[in-house]
Amino acid sequence: MLEKKFGAGPWFAVLLMVGACSALYEDQIKKFDWRAENVGKLQQSVVDLNHFQPRILLSTEEGVVASVNVKTGELVWRQVLEQKPRGAIKLLQVSGFSDESSDTAAAPIGSNLGFDMLTVQGHAPALVRGWNSNLGAIEWEWSTMPLNTERAQEALWFYSHSVLYHVVPTWRSHLEVTAYFASSGHSTGSSSKVIASWITAESCLLSGSYYVCVDGKQLISIDLASKSGQVIRTALESQPFGKLTALAGLNGVVIANGKLISVNKDQSVCNSLQSSSYAVGSFNYRKIVVYADLASNNLKINAMYLDNCSPVVELEQNVPFPEHFGTPQLNSFDCMHRKNGDGKGCLFLFSTSAESIVAVQQGRIRWSREESLANVIDSLFVDLPLADSEGTLESEMKGKAGDFTSFDRDIASAFLRRITTQAVQIRSLFLHVIGLGPPPTATQRAGLVRDSFGLHKMLVLLTQAGKIFGVDNISGKHHWQLYLPNVNGFDNAENMRLIVQRSAKHFPLQPLCTILAKDADNGYGVLYRFNPITGLASEGGLLHLDYKIKQLSLLKETEKDFVRGVLLLDASNEVHVYPPHATPLADGLYLYTADVKTAELSGYFVKYAGGKLSSTQIWNARLGGHNSEQQIIGVAAKNPIEHVHSQGRVLGDRSVLYKYINPNLVAFVTQAPDATHKSLLNLYLVDVVSGSVIFTMTHRKVRAPLSIVHSENWLAYSYFNEKVRRTEITTIELYEGKTQANSSVWSSLQAPPMPLVERQSYIIPTLVEVLRETITERGITNKHVLIGTASGSIVEMPWHLLDPRRPIASTTQGREEGAIPYIPELPLPTESHINYNQTVARLRNIYTAPSGLESTCLVVATGLDLFVTRVAPSKTFDLLKEDFDYILISIVLVALTSGSLIVKHLASRKLLKQAWK
Amino acid sequence: MNLKPGFALIFLLGLVACGWGFLEHDSWITIELQHSLGSTSKSFSFRGNVTIPSLNSGLANVAQPPLTDEELEQLKTLARQNEFYRLKATVVYSNGAKSNFITSNKACRLLQAQLRDVLWISLDPSGFVTGITASQDTPTGTIECEQEDINQLDETQFSTDVLIRHAELAPVPDTASFIQKVEREREARERGEVRDNRGFFAKYWMYIVPVVLLVFISGATNQEGAK
Repeated sequence: MLEKKFGAGPWFAVLLMVGACSALYEDQIKKFDWRAENVGKLQQSVVDLNHFQPRILLSTEEGVVASVNVKTGELVWRQVLEQKPRGAIKLLQVSGFSDESSDTAAAPIGSNLGFDMLTVQGHAPALVRGWNSNLGAIEWEWSTMPLNTERAQEALWFYSHSVLYHVVPTWRSHLEVTAYFASSGHSTGSSSKVIASWITAESCLLSGSYYVCVDGKQLISIDLASKSGQVIRTALESQPFGKLTALAGLNGVVIANGKLISVNKDQSVCNSLQSSSYAVGSFNYRKIVVYADLASNNLKINAMYLDNCSPVVELEQNVPFPEHFGTPQLNSFDCMHRKNGDGKGCLFLFSTSAESIVAVQQGRIRWSREESLANVIDSLFVDLPLADSEGTLESEMKGKAGDFTSFDRDIASAFLRRITTQAVQIRSLFLHVIGLGPPPTATQRAGLVRDSFGLHKMLVLLTQAGKIFGVDNISGKHHWQLYLPNVNGFDNAENMRLIVQRSAKHFPLQPLCTILAKDADNGYGVLYRFNPITGLASEGGLLHLDYKIKQLSLLKETEKDFVRGVLLLDASNEVHVYPPHATPLADGLYLYTADVKTAELSGYFVKYAGGKLSSTQIWNARLGGHNSEQQIIGVAAKNPIEHVHSQGRVLGDRSVLYKYINPNLVAFVTQAPDATHKSLLNLYLVDVVSGSVIFTMTHRKVRAPLSIVHSENWLAYSYFNEKVRRTEITTIELYEGKTQANSSVWSSLQAPPMPLVERQSYIIPTLVEVLRETITERGITNKHVLIGTASGSIVEMPWHLLDPRRPIASTTQGREEGAIPYIPELPLPTESHINYNQTVARLRNIYTAPSGLESTCLVVATGLDLFVTRVAPSKTFDLLKEDFDYILISIVLVALTSGSLIVKHLASRKLLKQAWK
Repeated sequence: MNLKPGFALIFLLGLVACGWGFLEHDSWITIELQHSLGSTSKSFSFRGNVTIPSLNSGLANVAQPPLTDEELEQLKTLARQNEFYRLKATVVYSNGAKSNFITSNKACRLLQAQLRDVLWISLDPSGFVTGITASQDTPTGTIECEQEDINQLDETQFSTDVLIRHAELAPVPDTASFIQKVEREREARERGEVRDNRGFFAKYWMYIVPVVLLVFISGATNQEGAK
């Protein structure tokens, strides 16, 4: 019994202690964290105001089906379905749709099937699901596997009279139409082939049951639901530029050049209309078409009765439309029947180019949802500005920015300045008290003032759509938003970048952030500079460059205005600096580029001489193998703001193993198929200043998905092992050895050539989506690795557990060193899930940033949802507990002090009495 | 017409090479070294040849002619300006394939090291060169070159060591030895013969400490009582 306790007991105790570090108490739930749920870019929507429970049902590009509250825009329910392409939603069909003329109901209301919504997803297999739209529950499901999966990618679906039609086009040949009973999945008969040699991918679409193609100046269409299969030709006034679009709700009506055209002879339309977006619905029991256009930031909504093409005056409205939403597109609308028909009961739902969902009612924007947040590509925590009084104090300590001559002031002037600032402070305090002080600035009114621990920050989020948000990291409020239309990510699958050019430290100067992107039209670089606190453009805002950006790097701060210049390498290997006055600081800088496809790396040296910048290629490396079959799938550099507090590791024998801390070390991971080993994954550690390939390691029978994290002297990456079909994590630690080459300055050109490499692999019983290390202000706190899993949880894993030096046999040396004995499988205890039950759907990335407290690290996890929290890897050692008993300690203090005073008094009296005796 | 068989042969060789890689049946490479002695010029002049007959053994034959006076002067100028000494290496594989590499180091460092340098050749897992780095393994000197350093140069010939960095095989989760260890521990526990090698105090401290404490306390109270 005793022996057993000694064998494993202490280690389990250590494990338990380590695990308990990150646990959260029940009353702390949602105290430091919040989650925002998104659905993604709107695809199809149905506004249903006449249901007993008014709702909006929608499907999105992210493969999400959701129901939204009509009044507030909040989610009633949401189902996150399979990922693309398997889960791409092809059709959303809802019954009870106010369009009475055509039968679009998935099932009659009140039928015993219990479903009233139907979705079709994916192509191979295609999944058909029936939903209960009130609860968001799947009632039934069937699937069909197409014979030719490649052709089925282009397949279209439509629904008519309880029958679901599957249309598979074979370009320039024919269409294959198969009909299924919607709720059972049984085929109604054999599939029919419609010969149509004119069909091409670019010119055709499905409008209701009509398959419509453009052929020069005419439309060729076939009604696929009819038995005859008659070809209808409709002449056009002019050849349409751009693609045709279908008008949902009207069978056989398409929009060409902004005009409505009907190919269905039973369906008349108002031909004179010209608009950018249309929607069909009913108003006062009459069918209407609503169209909306944006003119000088004003959204004009108009409507027309379809039967006689007379305008619906009740619905005409003008809505001021903020620029940050982008260009709106009317998606759907509905009007309440019971209202007295004045048009006030109509709700119009718009999707915009900035991926927002905007609901308009009674001439104003009722609510909006920012769905671009479902695709966050970069994020930053920006310090908030100081309160005014602190700011003046700060400027006194440093001297005014920009006037450095006064910095070497004498004592007299320093004293004078102190007196004047204090006088000013007293005056402002007095004015504030009697209520005559200057009004607080907008940011102060919004509560955007730095707190004493630096936990309150502005979270700047850059999204794929080009929309930028300033979000409060404590409350989750959107303080500002910006929209950059017409920008893209870079070549080489690189996203747009968000960088800080000036932090909030330089008080009278405002912080400055910059977005680097590619112009969608000509591929040239675009810079957008803005103030991250207010969201307003600064220093001219948008700047179009006349070259393509290949690589970028930040320079150090200029002395004049504390701006960190951006060094840009263009496609012809010329270097540019923005802002230009920071150019001299680029002298002696090293840059590197990596081509993802050929896996070729090149290093450049930037020189500034005679007022000109030049770059020289100084090294190259080829990771591509013989025929460049290897492709780079991961690049991991260290966080540039990282501080390494401890230079070495104390071993069991009290000697020190020095860490190999090379700030220029970058890890590259390549992958290629292999004849003998199925697939190979290679890891290269490259010093990107000298170009030296320091370490190479290869994995056999291993493939992506890869996540990698690189920090201090270690590296951890996860991958999928094909041989044993599980996810594994390999960790690497680099050491210089028992002596340190140069403890003060690191130079890659004179680096110790071969570090010691410790390595180990672990099994992780989950699918890893992303790895990220925690980071703190001074690097004293332990480093933990945050593991984002495919199921949407974030696990905080101490480095002790990932340590490659965990000894296999428990030796005394390992015990002395504090290493836990090796266990191949990593534990994932529930208490280390930092987002407890707040699952982050489609978790894609985790960003970390230091707070003002050494113990605390700020975390934001992005994906479809957004989750913001903070973690304290070594517990909050520099912060009092929340439930710290201030009253008790004050009572004890007061009691002790008064007690000692009383006792002192008594003692002196006693002494006096004794002396008299 | 005549070219076609040649192409086919190269293609076949290429296929063979990428299928098996070079390391599995050891192979040779030659490296032609060229250097650039002008700070701005793009032209490279011949420096020497390195032949590695066997990548596995890593032995290399280096043939480098001595530098001419003019070249030495250029090198010294580079060092004085604290410029890069750039080296271009053309690797020729046994199948005739070629690839170019560039590496640079401060010219000053080369002079300080008396034209001694180390050529690190990094190989990928199938034996292809990923990068070539020329570095010096002298103790860290000053970064900037002084006239003294330049004058001290009395070598006219490069002496180069060639070192090869091979790719290593990554570790796999070591389940076997862990299971063995657990088995061994379990068996030992069943037999009840787990030896405790620790010292007497390490083993029984939890019994000794309370006893000692008791003795102390009782001693203290006794003393008081005696008073």
